[in-house]
Amino acid sequence: MGEILVGKIKELKSDVLDMGKLAVTMLKDAVEALKSQNTQLAETVLDRKTEIARMDEAIEEKALRMIALYHPVSRDMRTIAAALKMITYLTRIGRYAKDIAKTAVLLANEPHLSKLVEIPYMADKVVGMIDDALTAFENEELAPLENFAERDDEIDALYYSIFRESITYMMEDAKNITKCIHYIIIARYLERCGDHACKIAEKVHYMVTGEHIEIK
Amino acid sequence: MSNYAIETRNLKIAYGKKEVIKGVNFKIPEKIVFALMGPSGCGKSTLLRSFNRLLDLNKDARVSGEALLFGQNIYGENVDVMSVRREIGMVFQYPNPFPHLTIYENIAIGLRLNKIVQGREELDSRIKWALEKASLLDEVEDRLDDYPSALSGGQKQRLVIARVLAMKPKVLLLDEPTANVDPVGTKNIENLLMELKKEYTIVLVTHEPAQASRISDYVGFLYLGELVESGPTARIFENPKHELTDRYVRGILA
Ligand SMILES: Nc1ncnc2c1ncn2[C@@H]1O[C@H](COP(=O)(O)OP(=O)(O)O)[C@@H](O)[C@H]1O
Ligand SMILES: [Mg+2]
Repeated sequence: MGEILVGKIKELKSDVLDMGKLAVTMLKDAVEALKSQNTQLAETVLDRKTEIARMDEAIEEKALRMIALYHPVSRDMRTIAAALKMITYLTRIGRYAKDIAKTAVLLANEPHLSKLVEIPYMADKVVGMIDDALTAFENEELAPLENFAERDDEIDALYYSIFRESITYMMEDAKNITKCIHYIIIARYLERCGDHACKIAEKVHYMVTGEHIEIK
Repeated sequence: MSNYAIETRNLKIAYGKKEVIKGVNFKIPEKIVFALMGPSGCGKSTLLRSFNRLLDLNKDARVSGEALLFGQNIYGENVDVMSVRREIGMVFQYPNPFPHLTIYENIAIGLRLNKIVQGREELDSRIKWALEKASLLDEVEDRLDDYPSALSGGQKQRLVIARVLAMKPKVLLLDEPTANVDPVGTKNIENLLMELKKEYTIVLVTHEPAQASRISDYVGFLYLGELVESGPTARIFENPKHELTDRYVRGILA
């Protein structure tokens, strides 16, 4: 019975990792679509929204069934508990990607201000955190989670910097207001995605050590 | 007086030259269920029997270290073995009511032999009390003169528990009491133990981690004669500190 559960948990982890990869590519593609004003790419992000929702449901059902049938304990239970939380965070990241993609369609016709300020740079940082959190989950190790608190502070700082820069453009010329409001909202979404990366890291930490921590 | 019902200090037990308990230390608080779990052959029964000085009956068995019952070392000098055993009730894996005695007489015999109660009236009421405590009274009230062969496995085991409780022990030792009982009977016995822990300290030996997780407050994991880890049950099942415990509770210990 124990061995059966070990196999099922492997399967569950690989499902969560697939979902994680999907969320990350959605986010990357949404920002790329915004940057290159590629509405086609933005549309594909919108299409992938249903796929990530389907994965969320399927993984949740699978995890709950494992709890009912195998009464997992110890690391097995912690892995399932972490997976159940992670899929919620990944779904939210997917939702932010969708919102960014929608904005990309709206902003596709006029050139961007100052190369989109620091949004692409900020997006890279956030994606890096999500990737590292997923790697830690895959290998059940803590090393990729070191410095998460500092990295999250950096994301917060980038948000404020984008915020201030956008305000400056708005004061310079009222015609910039619509664009800049969108930039601020997107930066806010990215900042939230960074928070979710931290939440995922906390769950992975619990899975590996059995101890609850708070990164931020 | 100690706050612990049972405490061991470097307790070692050998059969001849073969050491089967290799120096274990733990403390069992009063009025809880303590589960002693581990794969078969790891020494659970041996350890449990040592708390009752039942190993005295085995000429090969040698005990060293200390086992304290409410603070008193039961292996100390001038210890009255009978008074130790009176504080402790023991229930074994195979329900063993006396087959040639009625349900009533099964409980009465110990009380009579030890002259614990006076007269028929007191005996009657003590027997009813014990059956009630063992959650069996409702099921056998109108057939106290039947023989235990008419009872189910679970009922037989509860009859044995009633027999033990009638002697008013402080500690109950149970060695895999549900190993030969069906799921419904197992549930009844587990519910009974949870009820009894309000008044008694219960030490339950089980080879089933799931049973330990269901009903115990504290758990000790015994492996090859060593206490690998012990602590609050919820902690051991959520976050065991030792790799062996982790593998055992997850059911993947080879
Ligand atoms: N009376 C005995 N004489 C010699 N060896 C024994 C005796 N009883 C048990 N053993 C040995 O001691 C070890 C522990 O047995 P036991 O306490 O019955 O374990 P458990 O209850 O965990 O299955 C086993 O290796 C068993 O063979
Ligand atoms: Mg045994």
